Amino acid sequence: MVARLAHPRVLLALGLFLIGVVLAFHAWSGPADAMLVPRIVLTLWCVIALAITLVELSRVSGMGSGSLSTLPVLMAALLIAAIAVASLGFLIPSLPLVALTLWMFRLRRPLPLAVGTLVIAGGLWFLFHHVLLIRLPTLLNSGAL
Amino acid sequence: MDIILAAVSDAFTWQALLAIVIGTWAGIIIGGLPGLGSVVGLTIFLPFTFGMDTITSMALLIGVYCGSVYGGSITAILINTPGTPQSAATTFDGYPMTQQGRVDEALGWATFASFFGGVFSCVILIFCAPQLAKFAVNFGSIEVFALICLAMMCIVGVSKGSVMKGLVCGMVGFFLSMVGSDPITGADRFTFGSYALSSGLTLIPVVVGAFALSEIFMRFATRDDPSAKIPEATLRFPKLSEWFKRLVELVRGSLIGSFIGALPGTGAAAAAFISYATAQKLSPRRDRLGKGEPDGIIASESSNNAVTGSSFIPTLALGIPGDVVTAMMMGAMVIHGITPGVRLMVDQAQTVYSLFIVLIIVNVAMLILSKPSIGLFRYLFRLHQGYIMAAIVIFSFIGAATVRGNPLDLVVAAMTGILAYALRRADYPMAPLVIGMVLGPELESSLRRGLLIKRGDFLEFFTHSGISMTLFSLLALFIVWTVWSSIAQQRQASTASRHAESNSAK
Repeated sequence: MVARLAHPRVLLALGLFLIGVVLAFHAWSGPADAMLVPRIVLTLWCVIALAITLVELSRVSGMGSGSLSTLPVLMAALLIAAIAVASLGFLIPSLPLVALTLWMFRLRRPLPLAVGTLVIAGGLWFLFHHVLLIRLPTLLNSGAL
Repeated sequence: MDIILAAVSDAFTWQALLAIVIGTWAGIIIGGLPGLGSVVGLTIFLPFTFGMDTITSMALLIGVYCGSVYGGSITAILINTPGTPQSAATTFDGYPMTQQGRVDEALGWATFASFFGGVFSCVILIFCAPQLAKFAVNFGSIEVFALICLAMMCIVGVSKGSVMKGLVCGMVGFFLSMVGSDPITGADRFTFGSYALSSGLTLIPVVVGAFALSEIFMRFATRDDPSAKIPEATLRFPKLSEWFKRLVELVRGSLIGSFIGALPGTGAAAAAFISYATAQKLSPRRDRLGKGEPDGIIASESSNNAVTGSSFIPTLALGIPGDVVTAMMMGAMVIHGITPGVRLMVDQAQTVYSLFIVLIIVNVAMLILSKPSIGLFRYLFRLHQGYIMAAIVIFSFIGAATVRGNPLDLVVAAMTGILAYALRRADYPMAPLVIGMVLGPELESSLRRGLLIKRGDFLEFFTHSGISMTLFSLLALFIVWTVWSSIAQQRQASTASRHAESNSAK
């Protein structure tokens, strides 16, 4: 039973159910008129997520085959870059993120990696921010970087 | 007649034609880049129009608008990443066709259906704009609520693997659309004290995360697999006999798009989902929808491009912009001396007819420019997969950051991407999440307004008007039919398995 509970599919369904419960609790304790539709939606969410959890529990066997992957590194880098944009501006977090993406997609020769990073992150930032004047988040108040 | 001739001569100046070619070409490319859509395209080109005359400037902007709606389908078909939310429904059948090696056919149908829908809505616009505007006015909150409920039924259709998983994703999308200020009372909902969250979550970061970023994660797992490479983009237009065979689907999608576009507050993404839901019920090849059937692409693309023409009906005839894009177009019109409203057809008839003719030329230009545009994408997708994935990351970030200049949108896109990857790995469909987010806000606000009108009595919705009664009856029929057909399918499957078991026992 514990092994089944630890299966990623069950954990995901359970996670959805628990998030639904927390949000539903928040909705039921809020103002009645503004929370009318959220209460209906979140109650349905909880019921369906619970049903999915039970179905997944009955279907899966064991913990599932887990394999070590570097994908979480890419995910973490993406999330960190997204958070950092607010304080560091668009360009600085984009450069390492693009370099890492290229590296992880097996582009490892130094020259293509460096040129690719500069063109994709630096070039597109320059095109949108300075040429097309579609302002992206900046580090400096002047808007130059 | 003199007015129409004068309008034709206004629209066929070399400046206007050049503006159409540049605008449409740029629109297709911008629309094809994940995260960037019609709004970004119009934002880029709007400042360039200040020095131009009225028709040339509107030709440029209409070209960008129509081109971007079509362009979104290219990457939706090629890499399962819709360039714009309007093309999200195109992935349902477009990408399976690509996986089956029918990319040329898929792009051909997308192009032809977009052209057909665009021209069809222009004809509707020319002949029926005043009548359609009058009919659209009959659609109050309760009628819109019934219509959106009907459209929500497509969640069941696009959740082929598990309806429950589709429904929960629909609920997640609907919930995401409710974060921020309540549209009626203005009270904060699910902001947890965060000032940044009080302005709510917008569609583009969620679509970028659900499709573009999650696709990067999915491709990461298969980056060493040669069969997972992005296919060569080629275009093959359907033969006359093929499109004649699907004429009913083309006309139906275009009619739905033309009508939805005329309703303020709906937009091309909603039209594409409603049209797809209708195709699931009415197409003679509905059993194959979702598995690589051109009818699915036709339903989505003909309707979303039909919106480009008909969305001008409330904008021009009533002065009511239907969505952000038409609001921007309306702003551009005002800058260039066109004052939308009920007096427009009387005071500036020549200019209005010129715009209608420009719309038709733009759709023809889109058909002609589709081949070189797809050629450009073919060249881009020949590059190392790493460059494409890194470019998608940056375009997704730019798209999310430019929606409203809120850095929180980037975090939303990244988190949605990670969540969407986990959901996709566990066989949860992503389309219902976007459907919930697209249709949710309109469903909620129409329900709430309807309840205010009916003083809280929901049962009165069903007897409010002839239109609402018809729509609710159709909804009830669809529900009964869906339940009945799923029970019938289960019975068939269990009978077949029993036969197989008894045969193997013998």
